[in-house]
Amino acid sequence: MAGRRTGRSRAALALAAPLGLVLGLALILAACGAPDGAGTGAAVLRVNGSTTVNPVVSRAAELLRAERGLEITVDTQGGSSGGLAALGEGRVEVAMSSRPVNQHDHDAYPEVDFRPVQIGVDAVALVVSRDVWEGGVHALTRDQMQAIYESRVSNWSELGGPHVPIAFFNKEPGRGTWEVFAKWLYGDPDEAPLVSHLEVGSNEEGRTKVASTPGAVTQLSFAWADGETVFPLAVDSAEGEVVPPTPETVAAGRYPISRQLLVVTDGEPTGTAAELIDYLVGPEGQKLVEEAGYLSLGEADGAMETAGGAVGEEAPAS
Amino acid sequence: MRRGAERIFWGTTALCAVGACAVGAGILIATVVRGADALSWDFLVRASSSAGAEGGIVFQLAGTLILIATALAVAVPVAVGLALAVSVYLGERGAARLRLALYLWNGVPSVLFGLFGLIVLVRWAGWGKSWLAGGLVLGLMILPTLTVSLAERIDAVPRRYVEAARGLGLTRSRVVTSVLLPQSVGGLVSGALLGLARAAGETAPILFTAAVFSGATLPDGVRESPVLALPYHIFVLAQDSLEPGAATRLWAAAFVLIALVFGLGLLSLPLRLRVHEEARDGGGL
Amino acid sequence: MSLPAAAARPAWLFAGRRRLDPIRVASLAACALAAAFLAGLVGLLAVQSLPAWRHEGVAGFLAGGRWFFRARTFGALPMIYGTVAVSAVALVLAVPVGLGAALFASEVLPPRARLALKTVIELLAGVPSVVYGLLGVLLLRDWMYRLLSPFDPLSGDTLLTAGVLLAVMILPTVTTFSEDALRGVAGAQRRAARGLGLTRGTTALRVVLPQALPGLAAAALLALGRALGETIAVFLVIGRRDNQLPESWLSAEPLIKTTQAGQTLTTKLGGSETFLAWGDPLHWAAIAGLGLVLLALVGAVTLVGALLVRKGAGHAARS
Repeated sequence: MAGRRTGRSRAALALAAPLGLVLGLALILAACGAPDGAGTGAAVLRVNGSTTVNPVVSRAAELLRAERGLEITVDTQGGSSGGLAALGEGRVEVAMSSRPVNQHDHDAYPEVDFRPVQIGVDAVALVVSRDVWEGGVHALTRDQMQAIYESRVSNWSELGGPHVPIAFFNKEPGRGTWEVFAKWLYGDPDEAPLVSHLEVGSNEEGRTKVASTPGAVTQLSFAWADGETVFPLAVDSAEGEVVPPTPETVAAGRYPISRQLLVVTDGEPTGTAAELIDYLVGPEGQKLVEEAGYLSLGEADGAMETAGGAVGEEAPAS
Repeated sequence: MRRGAERIFWGTTALCAVGACAVGAGILIATVVRGADALSWDFLVRASSSAGAEGGIVFQLAGTLILIATALAVAVPVAVGLALAVSVYLGERGAARLRLALYLWNGVPSVLFGLFGLIVLVRWAGWGKSWLAGGLVLGLMILPTLTVSLAERIDAVPRRYVEAARGLGLTRSRVVTSVLLPQSVGGLVSGALLGLARAAGETAPILFTAAVFSGATLPDGVRESPVLALPYHIFVLAQDSLEPGAATRLWAAAFVLIALVFGLGLLSLPLRLRVHEEARDGGGL
Repeated sequence: MSLPAAAARPAWLFAGRRRLDPIRVASLAACALAAAFLAGLVGLLAVQSLPAWRHEGVAGFLAGGRWFFRARTFGALPMIYGTVAVSAVALVLAVPVGLGAALFASEVLPPRARLALKTVIELLAGVPSVVYGLLGVLLLRDWMYRLLSPFDPLSGDTLLTAGVLLAVMILPTVTTFSEDALRGVAGAQRRAARGLGLTRGTTALRVVLPQALPGLAAAALLALGRALGETIAVFLVIGRRDNQLPESWLSAEPLIKTTQAGQTLTTKLGGSETFLAWGDPLHWAAIAGLGLVLLALVGAVTLVGALLVRKGAGHAARS
């Protein structure tokens, strides 16, 4: 009897040993990155923010890691507002934002010296699912867009489209894309009416939800509307001019809802942050911007006017 | 009950049992089938790139292992202390209260552990996103699992062992270290494996405290050293299923996570089955 | 001679000189740590959420039907409704199936097969919630959209979808603990009933089930607690639409509203606002308040379950 018991204890201990081994290995792995033991993690650059700017910055971070050994972590929690909040609280060194730094940011973090740097230009459009596009809806006026936002219309047939309910996926109010769109629609994001819609967070989620739901529409960066799964609507100005969001119209400043893509630091960027930003505005970074479907700084002269005079400041109401 | 009704009744219950198993089988099959293309040794040892559309999951796997190892390191000492309190040192009322507390603790939603870690460790202590914060929070979360498993084992140690030890003149604490703990190691190990299985799959606690989506490899120090993690990786990618390359890798990552969790759970089975048998035997004599 | 029950403390454990020994001290220190953490969790959420309670009033926060952080209005009722609705759907779906499976395992299967089934079910309980969420987004969402088309949902993201997903998630819990409760009824009872000529089905329903009731209720409550606290899987399929409240509570509306999108306490906590809110003390307080409400809700349910488990154990000891 006693032998049986001891056998089991031995078996249990035998199992405990490899567990302990794994534990030890993992802890060694975790600790071994800091030879000086100071553990300040000073070499790691932390970036957080907009899912629009993210593809460019993530790719740049990958390349910089491969080419120069820089350690840069990138995340997209909370979108543009989340990134700026993280910057304000000192949790990251660089924020990615697809909207200008506004008064709310300054009020919330009065000691922070937000320094935005523009790395490209993008445009925001309402994108729809295939059935809506093929049902004939290719453009909307500002009024019609307001009607959708305020739920004054509930079926695409009221807008000249197929008889399908309008499934509007609103971007979360903290997102840069939401703010830019709300600003164009209502002049000031704070003036946008308080509404409750289905919500999506990242650009990825918006695109996926719209692509997989009939009658769906959401605000999205025009570069993400591939024309196969989701389709960007043109803006129908009151005078009958219909402007689709294409690189040409955005670059020429004819498409009205364009925006600067920004990376923001607290004060003058130094160290790895400066390296990253220099890379982004340099030729390799700008190539990444174009590859992601946005307009690089060179291409976007016309759009700069629409998107805002000085870099990173509120654009004049258009 | 008439024969017909009897048959229908048990037929329905059999269907329920089959259904419950079928769901699980379905989940496994779905992940394997969809992720099979991306599953390879290569997948496990390469880093991911292009936001998960290419490459593998080596650093996500490493991050998850680091997190659960930390959780284990944190939870084991405290669990041993708490289990001893419940089984040995506390009076009857105290032990009952502690058991109740553990029961309640086990039910606390994981997102609240994440919030706790966010407030106390990430913000107040100024750690920022840190593997240690994530591990600590996960350790707190699995503490009841380890404690209860060990306590049950300690309670199951046959009385005659303890009587013999005391008969030899051992003090209470010597009894603990020489008899109770060695005999109940199995309970600690099985509880640990169960707890680790749970910790490996949790997203909400590490969402706030330790995980980032890209750029991290192995952590460097304690402060401001996030890690990648399998559950968070899957969570982010689940929201973007249009990229074909990302989609297969997503399912493959899900399969790896399930395999990890199941593996840990399966390892704990033999030990837990022994407790079952022992309880049935009545401990002999 | 039977083993001492966990609750009975035999004298030999307490005999011996009382002195400060390190193991005892360490053990009691662990208790202090545990108590500190639990108190800390509750206290932290309570203190951090004070501004919100003051701003809205307790009734205003709990029963307020509008949550607009930009307008600094924080009413949690739609999320409480969402949480309750989603969990109720999950229970309604999971408890019958789980109970059925447990009955089958407990009353019909031979011990080996029962153990095998139990093992499989327990393994399933370990599938991570993010995997369920993945399946929900990619598979369940589409199925539910087609299924619910008579109700005109805007998309497959609805409270009902989340409820169905949760039902699948808590099924293993219900099954395992129900089976334990049923096995807790003494075999003598079954033999006596069969000896009297009752069929297996009647035995199960009239003899075993009623006696196992406290344990079964505890199983359901434990599963309910898990459902209430689930974040990630629900987050991906619920639509995250704020301020969805049925207008009249005494009609079929609360039920029908589940075919539309909604928001729960956990999905709000796991969403973007938690990352945004720290800079604004009132907003953060409201988020912490949601956490406190969630904790209270889950705590209450778990507490009732714990008391029922005790009652069930008492039953088993006596019979």
